[in-house]
Amino acid sequence: MATRSLTRTDDLFRRLAPHALPIAIVVMIVGFSIAQPAFLTPDNLIGIVRQVALIGIMATCMTFVIMTGGVDLSVGPVLALAGLVSFYCLQADLPLVVVVLGGLSAGVLVGLFNGAIVAFLGLPPIIATLGTLSIVRGTALIVGGPEQHLIRDEPAYTFIGAGNLFGLPFSIYIFAAVAVVMIFVQRRTPLGLLVAAVGDNERAAYLSGHRIRVTKLTVYAISGFGAALAGIIQSSQVHTALATYGPFGTELDVIAAVVVGGTSIMGGNGSVVRTLLGVFFLGVVNTGMNILNVPIDVQLMAKGAIIVVALAFSARLA
Amino acid sequence: MEPVIRGTDLTKVYGNLTALGEATFAVEAGEVRGLVGSNGAGKSTLVKILTGAVTPTLGTVEITGHAAPLGDPRGMILRGVACIYQHSNLAPSMSVLDNIFLGRQPTRGLGLVDTSRMRAEARALLERHQIDLDLDATVSALPTVKQKEVEILKALALDARVIIMDEPTGWLSSVEVAKLHETVRALKKRGVAVIYISHVLDEIFAVCDTVTIMRDGRIISESPVKDVNRSQVVHLMVGEKLARESERAAHEKRHPRGTGEIRLKADKLTKHGVFEDVSFELYAGEILCITGLIGSKRTEMVRTLFGSDRFDAGTLEVDGQAVTFSSPTQAISKGVGFVPEDRHREGLMLDMTMTENLAMATLHRFRRGVILSRRSMVESGRRAIENLSIRPPDGTRPVKLLSGGNQQKVLVGKWMSRTPRIFILDEPTVGVDVGAKAEIYAILRRERDRGAAILVVSSDLEEVATIADRIGVMVAGRLTAMHDGDSAPMDEIVAEIGGAD
Repeated sequence: MATRSLTRTDDLFRRLAPHALPIAIVVMIVGFSIAQPAFLTPDNLIGIVRQVALIGIMATCMTFVIMTGGVDLSVGPVLALAGLVSFYCLQADLPLVVVVLGGLSAGVLVGLFNGAIVAFLGLPPIIATLGTLSIVRGTALIVGGPEQHLIRDEPAYTFIGAGNLFGLPFSIYIFAAVAVVMIFVQRRTPLGLLVAAVGDNERAAYLSGHRIRVTKLTVYAISGFGAALAGIIQSSQVHTALATYGPFGTELDVIAAVVVGGTSIMGGNGSVVRTLLGVFFLGVVNTGMNILNVPIDVQLMAKGAIIVVALAFSARLA
Repeated sequence: MEPVIRGTDLTKVYGNLTALGEATFAVEAGEVRGLVGSNGAGKSTLVKILTGAVTPTLGTVEITGHAAPLGDPRGMILRGVACIYQHSNLAPSMSVLDNIFLGRQPTRGLGLVDTSRMRAEARALLERHQIDLDLDATVSALPTVKQKEVEILKALALDARVIIMDEPTGWLSSVEVAKLHETVRALKKRGVAVIYISHVLDEIFAVCDTVTIMRDGRIISESPVKDVNRSQVVHLMVGEKLARESERAAHEKRHPRGTGEIRLKADKLTKHGVFEDVSFELYAGEILCITGLIGSKRTEMVRTLFGSDRFDAGTLEVDGQAVTFSSPTQAISKGVGFVPEDRHREGLMLDMTMTENLAMATLHRFRRGVILSRRSMVESGRRAIENLSIRPPDGTRPVKLLSGGNQQKVLVGKWMSRTPRIFILDEPTVGVDVGAKAEIYAILRRERDRGAAILVVSSDLEEVATIADRIGVMVAGRLTAMHDGDSAPMDEIVAEIGGAD
């Protein structure tokens, strides 16, 4: 009798395990809502999505990098640099499309640079992008100086980060679009399959005739693109560009979202959808603790503990 | 006399493959036991159980009469079982002395390493076993045979009572082999039991007292070496069925130089310090096998034909045109396909599905604009699985869950849909069961008859004898002989492989 119920729980556990994260998200939402009914209001839920949009965009765009066994530490400064480039484009009275493309291309260029160091010089990604982190921060400081640059009387640009469309913040639409495109790329294009193949066995992919370097350049460029897009949205949201935006720790929040989602930091196993779950999970935890007035120091500790527990759990399953 | 080590009814089952079945095996102190069998016969499973690397499904291991813990490598080492592998397990940039005591240096107070005690203990060991080694030499600077001695000494320092040597002579010259055998005899005199695994039967006859022959996961025979001769051993190793098959294969028509059309021509290919002046022609419609000892640089040579490595000098022609491949991509565009030696490290995406792995060399075919057509990929995978009779025929299965033979079929199969004009395979049937082996041979013959030029690197002479239309021999980076497969004098080839003049 006892053994039977044990195997039944075991079986249930095994079947639920792949869905652990969505279940955890639902449990958290229910828990926070009981503790504080205000949690479940539409405003709050929309607020969560809006808040996670920046990290979410960067995390979905960094998923491929991590799936290939790499990492991109340079997203913070790229975010700042893209805001500054867009600011100067606005100063020059360029059309909005050029302003946005200017900011984005700054990110893509940094990404290509990262990819080139990793692919052609063969440096470990953590070292390569640590170098870029510093180089880009320095560049942003040279370009922007130490002062805040106010973005005033630019309604079109301001709409990107602060506007509303059909009652929802516009940045949510951008996040959704990025997520949909990245899911599509992963599931329905050759690049998606190649990313998984390189992460699983880079050597085998090379010996199957694939241009691994091109794949690497592409995934780092996508990550740079995501960071730049986040930078544009942020500068638009807060009406300023500043060289020190995306402070130290931004990249860790992004990486945490990807790995909590269940993408292996060693490469191979992973998906954009999992990253989105990781993003929302951390978003719900953050907002819930805010709404319950948990002191910030306790929040930090709780967040760190949750990340470790989540990873230990997913390692057990793997 | 009580055996030092005894395994009883050892069985290891992987999925539906029995790697080892009810093996009972005992070795006495001072005995040198030869362990032979073709690839996949179960030798390495048996060894892994004895060293604790693998937990048997059934059975027990006793050491000097006491039950030993199973699947516990450290426990086995502490009980005196040591294993010396073909590839060195030493820290190459450290000294001999440091290597001997690696990870368990004697210490004085404050955790400081007690160097003088280490040195004294090592000296005593050297003297007791009459081994001549410079304790301060850096390991990487020593010749290979000396490195083996360091490994042996390391085992002795742990009071090893059983030393397993797994293909210990793969990297050694014949003089060095003789030296190693002297060491083995010295160990025997000191009462150490040695389990000696080798494909080279001459070594078994030279150094072993007794020989255990394995086939298809079972122990087939056990006898004193003086009671058997070479052909009896070979016969027991390959078994009636395979012996008949290879007999039949021997009568099968060979096609040396195939259709007579030269597909690939290597002229004085050289990679300095690796291989030199390798010249040969590969014809359409033939299977050319290149055999030799492990370490004879065959792998390194064929890699340059595929563009994954470069050669320094010489020329390579495909269809009469000089080519220099700087990447596999370029070689593939000229119709070259390549199955690497190590399917786990270089061949397969283990976590990905069979369908995905089968599609790896032909992704461009499933492109519809920017989209990858999963449906046509699945369809083409289904056909490949059917053609290659991969079991189970389920394309969604991760490759890591397949048996070795089926994994290898996936690896071969992913090139089939490209109908390669030149197909290079490096050790295509290592660790593959007999049935899958025959199927892979059938695929290769089919490709050959279709007109492909096939180059197979193989250390398995049985394999070479079975499929080769022509046989090349490589020794220490040189292609030293070339024979037609239909009239190949196998004993002569065996001598050539060993580097005999």
